[in-house]
Amino acid sequence: MSRLSRPAALTLSTAASLALLAAGCSGDGGSSGLPADQESSSFSAEGDGVRLGILGQCEGPFGGFHEDVVAGTTLAFARYAGASPNSSTSALEGFSDAEVAGTPIELVGIGCGDDTADRILQEVRRLVEQQGANVIIGPLSGDEGIAVAEYAKGKPDLTVFAGISGSQEQTLQVQAPNYFRFYGDGAIWNAGLGDLLYREKGWRKVAVIADDYSFGHTSAAGFVADFCGVGGEVTHRVFPPLGTTDYSSYIAQLPDPDEVDGYFWAVGGTGTQAALEAFVNAKGDLTGDRHAGNFFFNPDLAQALGTDIAGAHIGGFATLPGDIQTPEIKEYLAAADETWETIPGSLSGNEPAPPSTSAAFGFFYGYYSAGVALVEGLKAVDGDISDPKAFQSAVAGLTLDLPHGDISLDENRSGIVDVGLSRLAVNDSDEVVQESVAIVPGVDQTFGGTFSPDTPSPGRDFPKCEKRDLPWEGKAIPVVDGVPQR
Amino acid sequence: MAHTGTAPSAPSGPPGPSGPAGPAPVVEVRAVTVAFGGLLALRDIDLAIARGERLAVLGPNGAGKTTLFNVIAGDVTPAAGSVVIKGVECVHRPSRYRPRLGVARTYQKARALAGLTVRENIYLALAGLRGRHRPLWRTAADRRMGEEAADVAHRVWLAGQLDAAAGELSHGQQRQLELGMAIATRPDVMLLDEPASGLSRGERERLVELLESFDEELTLLLVEHDMDVAFRIARRVVVMADGEQVTAGTPEQVRADPQVHRIYLGTEAPA
Amino acid sequence: MTARDLLTRSNLLGAALVVVLLVLPSLATAYFVNFVMTQTFILGLAAATIVFLAKYGGMISLAQFLLFGVAGFMFGNAAQETGARGLNLGWHPWAAVVFALAVTTAAAFVLGALASRSTGLYFLMLTMVYAVIGYYVFAQIVEISGPGGLTSIQRPDLLGPPVRLYYAGLGLSVLAYVGFRAVGRTAFGLALQGVRDDPVRMASLGFNVPLHRALAFTLAGFAAGAGGLLNVWWNGQIDPASIAIGPTLILLIIAVIGGISSFEGAWLGAFVYVLIFTYLRDLPLIDRVGITEARFNTVIGVIVLVIMMLSPEGLTGIARRLRRRLRPPARTGPAPSTGPPLPVRTTEKELGVTRR
Repeated sequence: MSRLSRPAALTLSTAASLALLAAGCSGDGGSSGLPADQESSSFSAEGDGVRLGILGQCEGPFGGFHEDVVAGTTLAFARYAGASPNSSTSALEGFSDAEVAGTPIELVGIGCGDDTADRILQEVRRLVEQQGANVIIGPLSGDEGIAVAEYAKGKPDLTVFAGISGSQEQTLQVQAPNYFRFYGDGAIWNAGLGDLLYREKGWRKVAVIADDYSFGHTSAAGFVADFCGVGGEVTHRVFPPLGTTDYSSYIAQLPDPDEVDGYFWAVGGTGTQAALEAFVNAKGDLTGDRHAGNFFFNPDLAQALGTDIAGAHIGGFATLPGDIQTPEIKEYLAAADETWETIPGSLSGNEPAPPSTSAAFGFFYGYYSAGVALVEGLKAVDGDISDPKAFQSAVAGLTLDLPHGDISLDENRSGIVDVGLSRLAVNDSDEVVQESVAIVPGVDQTFGGTFSPDTPSPGRDFPKCEKRDLPWEGKAIPVVDGVPQR
Repeated sequence: MAHTGTAPSAPSGPPGPSGPAGPAPVVEVRAVTVAFGGLLALRDIDLAIARGERLAVLGPNGAGKTTLFNVIAGDVTPAAGSVVIKGVECVHRPSRYRPRLGVARTYQKARALAGLTVRENIYLALAGLRGRHRPLWRTAADRRMGEEAADVAHRVWLAGQLDAAAGELSHGQQRQLELGMAIATRPDVMLLDEPASGLSRGERERLVELLESFDEELTLLLVEHDMDVAFRIARRVVVMADGEQVTAGTPEQVRADPQVHRIYLGTEAPA
Repeated sequence: MTARDLLTRSNLLGAALVVVLLVLPSLATAYFVNFVMTQTFILGLAAATIVFLAKYGGMISLAQFLLFGVAGFMFGNAAQETGARGLNLGWHPWAAVVFALAVTTAAAFVLGALASRSTGLYFLMLTMVYAVIGYYVFAQIVEISGPGGLTSIQRPDLLGPPVRLYYAGLGLSVLAYVGFRAVGRTAFGLALQGVRDDPVRMASLGFNVPLHRALAFTLAGFAAGAGGLLNVWWNGQIDPASIAIGPTLILLIIAVIGGISSFEGAWLGAFVYVLIFTYLRDLPLIDRVGITEARFNTVIGVIVLVIMMLSPEGLTGIARRLRRRLRPPARTGPAPSTGPPLPVRTTEKELGVTRR
């Protein structure tokens, strides 16, 4: 009966001493002396400044973008808050001297997600509850956004600026009053594409193929809502699982080219090319102008598929297509190059590259927008964040003048944005390039009522294909040679 | 439930037909054939064991003794034939039904439960028989069975090792524990698979002493490699070779049988 | 009697530890209590079910995290009233608790029964298959898992303040620790250890070996389900990625760090894991030696490797050895009273592979 008693004694004492040790170590952390049964940490104990935590991803499918997203926020402070980065070759070293209207911005930590909601929750709790962050910028991806928004809901004194997380629900359904998103969502980024194809290309019937997970569903939902809204018909919806390598059985479920006017693709990652190749094998040659896709369609596809892909239409992203070079955009890219010598961002394979390479892409830009929003919010309350409610309501009323277009928020604090549509085209040197065709102004989350807090999440069979009035219908601004014809 | 010296008394008998005490055999093996792959381990064996009989099965290695034994114990299902214990057809009943029929066995290689103590091993033999398999708390019944287990350990000279792990016992002590676990359930039929193997001379003496102390009513089936022990315990001896019965009779008859000498080639039986 | 003295001493120490943990919320920071320690209890509870099966049953299960997740998903589906995700049955929270535990226990029985005839490596592989299939079941059947997970799961009002969740974790952990150890001395637990040592022998003693294994798996599943409920209350959400193969292996690693044959080790391993994950990056200059957040899994892998090389029985094994070395040898002698000259061994199984 006495078995285990000796080891037990030892283990328990070890555990006890470890526990005490750790408790002692953490005592100087953020909110010492705080009874553990309070829901929120006391930020004001830390002084009047902004204690900022950034949520990125250092592991998982978007782990390569860790530098990019931190650099995005840093650039905003470098431009508008007098910050200087601690390193000229990496953003992860942090920054110093950021201050807005007399209020310092201190970076207390960078959270490291891995594209799962569980992990980002642990990271945000660490930043807020341990490091005492009172402002969070991030997260990066869709499911993370929902989890962080839910977390924010329970911490009313915390203010969160979403990074580039593209799920619809984080604002439309969660509706946390302290969670702000100054960019669009996965559905918004395809707004206007269906309208354009219906009007200008005469598409009436379309088959949709999209990844069978939340972002694929959301991306397809934006296209379906838009194309059906103007009167088009979606005849097929095919959802291959994420990570499929052999798409032939899913392509077989698509109609033949003589049955529909075109195909919409929301297949991401390595799947984009694999799925298109399977299409060529099963349905014959690619005719670019019979295809459209979300932002996973890019000129690199031509390397494997040849110039046949030219003519395909592409939805937007947080940034406008690269051929649009307004003075504001040029200034923004130049500022990035001035801030660092190099940044080892994802687009350069995490090798040192000019910072503007990263800055031109949406991930960097989303976090940049969030940083600008924080700065503008602070200005609006004259640097006084002692009343989080006042600060938050000031942020909700902001209209940001950003390089890729002005952004204001809807009543759920999600961005009302301009979406840049583009097309793959062959240039003079026979290369496939991305060419802007139109900017769809003022797109919001609801798609004229298709999506609301009471509707289900975008899914395999939601939304239904229904005609309805869209606010931006027929209002697309054409773009000629990279110049919007406003 | 303290029981004295000589072991099993009848009342803890099995459910089901407990045939007439006289002629009906306690264990009856009919035309049993066992094949492992293509190899015929047992060929058409018949064997009837009467109540209170002391029967030894002898034979060289590979004769099929242990297979026959495992068929009776339920660890091997024969390809053909039947095994009837106390009138109950048992061929397709797995080994876990045997204790209810009053059958206990030991193993050739000691298979005591190495991680448990001597007391716990014997306790489990008792709990297995009495259907106390799954309670998640201890009761007075458990304590009583623990005391019974101590009594049994005493009978097999393991009183001093009650709380020692079975895996720590010497080989001889493990055989004693095997026997203890068998007699703890007060079986009517006891199957002993080479109980003397690996024992020293002194330990063999103790083993024989213990086996001779058993109640007259107890039916004992012994598989033995060692003729010496077998002949001292058994009243009847069956000799097997190559999966078949060669001869049977009293120890004296078998000892004199020239066939047996041929089988035990090289070990000329002491005349 | 020496053994009894030791028992008392260990009980006293255990009680002292519990007292420390009871007053911890007024000593330590909210974060340490509500995050580090609560998570330690949750993971420790789940890891303890691995230890239970390995130590007593010789079965190393990779399916415990799946059952942990099943409970979470079932609670979420039953308790949520509105929202775009899950079944939104809108039941009373405690009814949802009963429902979640019932489903988890039933699932554990079915899975346990299917695996009840395999042992050792085969059992490990079979339960890994369970974990993988389980993940895909929840990932594919979006009606019960989202789509994309169940979010905003509220805990019952009784457990509203975070510190109550801490106490619930402490209470359940103590209960599981004491309970699992007590079960080891009951008829069920002794028979389970018998099954571990020699299933053939146990069958000949009259035990239904497969059923016994299945029931042990069920009991462990029930406890893992309780841990899973704590987890979704603590985390507020659960999605299929929560029960993917990564977290599943983490739980096994926790059990291995602590020592897979010791119940204390389950919580110790969980504590070490959470500490590493939470505080390692705060050590000064730690990023200068290349240990950044992205490399935590590597760090944990190295730690597991070192521990395994030092002692296959994890931290508790190391602690035991250190203690033996520090103590004067006089104390290691046998108990003098009823003693045979045999060493009275405290029965510890090495990595629970069934002996034949």
